[in-house]
Amino acid sequence: MISVKNLNKSFNGHRVLNDISLSFESGKTNLVIGRSGSGKTVLLKSIVGLLEVDSGEIWYEDTLFNKLDFAEKKEIRTEMGMLFQGSALFDSLTVEQNVRFPLDMFTDKTPVEKNERVNFCLNRVNIINANKLFPSELSGGMKKRVAIARAISLNPKYLFCDEPNSGLDPITAILIDALIKELTEEYSMTTIINTHDMNSVMEIGEKIIFISDGMKCWEGNKNEILNSDCEILNDFVFANSLAKKLRLTDK
Amino acid sequence: MVKFLTQVGLYFLFLKKVFSKPEKPRIYYKQTMREFVYLGLTSVGIIAIISFFMGSAITLQTAYNTENPIYPKYLIGLGCRDSIILEFSSTVAALILAGKVGSNIASEIGTMRVTEQIDALEIMGVNSASYLILPKLIATLLFNPILTLIAIIVGICGGWVAGTLSGVITSENFIYGIQYAFIPYYITYSLIKTVFFAFIITSVSAFQGYYVEGGSIEVGRASTKAVVYSSVLILLFNVILTQLLLS
Repeated sequence: MISVKNLNKSFNGHRVLNDISLSFESGKTNLVIGRSGSGKTVLLKSIVGLLEVDSGEIWYEDTLFNKLDFAEKKEIRTEMGMLFQGSALFDSLTVEQNVRFPLDMFTDKTPVEKNERVNFCLNRVNIINANKLFPSELSGGMKKRVAIARAISLNPKYLFCDEPNSGLDPITAILIDALIKELTEEYSMTTIINTHDMNSVMEIGEKIIFISDGMKCWEGNKNEILNSDCEILNDFVFANSLAKKLRLTDK
Repeated sequence: MVKFLTQVGLYFLFLKKVFSKPEKPRIYYKQTMREFVYLGLTSVGIIAIISFFMGSAITLQTAYNTENPIYPKYLIGLGCRDSIILEFSSTVAALILAGKVGSNIASEIGTMRVTEQIDALEIMGVNSASYLILPKLIATLLFNPILTLIAIIVGICGGWVAGTLSGVITSENFIYGIQYAFIPYYITYSLIKTVFFAFIITSVSAFQGYYVEGGSIEVGRASTKAVVYSSVLILLFNVILTQLLLS
């Protein structure tokens, strides 16, 4: 389980995370939702150690992650996979080389074993006949899928996704969501997803945390979210006119 | 002043990160070979062209300035040789490389930073500074002296071609001049300067790219800063090294 306690993070005097405490359930898809600028990405980057927090604790099971040095963090980091908003594939490497990169860096597998693993991961995310292509030759959806293949190549225990659906059409977004959920169940990963896409929330949200101004405002699951009393959450959930109309009809 | 000192401190911490133990030396070796091609071999053309024309210009200028009959003609060859070995092949070539290689390094690493590729490396547990920059440093430290030797040879050839074709000096006089009172240490001096300049170009440019925050505008600014700071440091160290090595 991953948990954070009393996290604080400021940039130039502007407080982005405000004494936030959360826990994420193991083997489930945990969604962090909130408006743009609410602190979701800073929270995620703090959890994975890309940002140093001002104060507070980040726990991976029984390990206090944010007090470890670079070498000690490395052990936990090899158990992490991350899907970035812009995919973050290495431009100079082909699809195949991108997925093989963590295997080259952290395993002593033979080239044949690495190739098998690369092809398995690419097949798992439905990328066929694209091994030799460069990221610039892929569509947005394909880039996300290759990034997922890279993230799962080392069988991670934890998967972090920052806005996995941004820039994708609704159908591709649903496919990416379904893929993340399937992989979470298949590998029993603890998955944390940052999103403001309500489709994702309703499709894959096993545990949902709503944050606003760097603070946790609400926590629940997809069945509870539509009947919440939290006003800021309702403003967010029923922000678009179709949702508003459906809510009024329902009432 | 505080900002300047902070940047200097950050630069040395960055170097510490760059020189920490590589995760997998075999992968670093592959990267280094790749950088030999991208940063070294692709610079041969521009260095050769510029050296040729600089050698030509130096020869013609020396001829113009030594028109007095009391100066022996072979001085033109000697002047061309010494100018190229002492100053052009190392310092001027380094300034050219600061523009070509420095901006390339800063923009490549800066783009990797703003597109989160460096974050992706960090998440995997890879020391991104070492993985990305150490191979570039090794490649430039080893290859730039070769570029300097190419610049010397091509520059002197350029001088010979311009001198003989324009008729300001005969081939025999020019060849006598480039052999006259030759001090081999000048080559060593030039190569030592080149190694220092290669380190400045690569590390300063990589530093500018590595700490970029923002988007494409900031990457462009980092690229410009990389060229400006590298050039200023090259000129400063040129003076210091000349005093230390030639006095």
